[in-house]
Amino acid sequence: MMQIPCPFCGARNESEFSFGGPVKPPRPEPEAVSDADWTAWLTQVPNPLGPVQEQWWHVRGCGTWLTIWRDTRSHDIVEGPGDGN
Amino acid sequence: MPYDVTFTRLETQALYDLKGPQAALRDWAGDALPDFPNRPNSKTETGGAALMFIGPDHWILRAELDAEDALEAALRPADAPPEISIVRVSDTLAVFRITGPDAVEVLAIACPMDLHESCFGADAASFTEAFGLRSLVTHCKGGFDIAVEQSFGPMVADYLTRITT
Repeated sequence: MMQIPCPFCGARNESEFSFGGPVKPPRPEPEAVSDADWTAWLTQVPNPLGPVQEQWWHVRGCGTWLTIWRDTRSHDIVEGPGDGN
Repeated sequence: MPYDVTFTRLETQALYDLKGPQAALRDWAGDALPDFPNRPNSKTETGGAALMFIGPDHWILRAELDAEDALEAALRPADAPPEISIVRVSDTLAVFRITGPDAVEVLAIACPMDLHESCFGADAASFTEAFGLRSLVTHCKGGFDIAVEQSFGPMVADYLTRITT
């Protein structure tokens, strides 16, 4: 079971949260990208072997939406690129 | 073996859901509210009313039902300015009081939060899970109060009956 750090409540059990999906790259302008890139943005979900940025909703707690980086190999919540700067 | 606890479903409480900037709520409500808690997931109590800081810019005001009319008159929810929200939610939560030597054991199973006093002090108040349901958990004398959505009241009453018999 993961302990997810809520910015309001502190570390809370994963069962208090609802998964909000991975953070997708910014929406491209459909006219400015190829059909393949547009389709990829619409349909492909980031699923790397390693850290992935995800949104979670503290639905059974304070109601905050938060973003974390989770390592898909270990479920550890890790620092994302640039978090240490 | 049953747990050595006593549970009571409390009478309906006067509950108000308050949202918005703290300063705006204080300006609007004046003395009708206890002092605002200064830590997340904590509460302050004055004159039988408890104000719980349960989310960013989000509080729950809880008092005995007898005080509801006076609170309604003081808070004037329908006239509140647009930057704040005051909603009477008295009918939405069923509150159970669980007391006795094993109350902490029951909550340790029902709730994933660490409710030891070192983590969850006497003035703590937080939404979390209890019996798999979203619940507002607070301390009371000799145990805990848990408030769940009203429609789950009979189910929680059944759970508590089973563990005490």
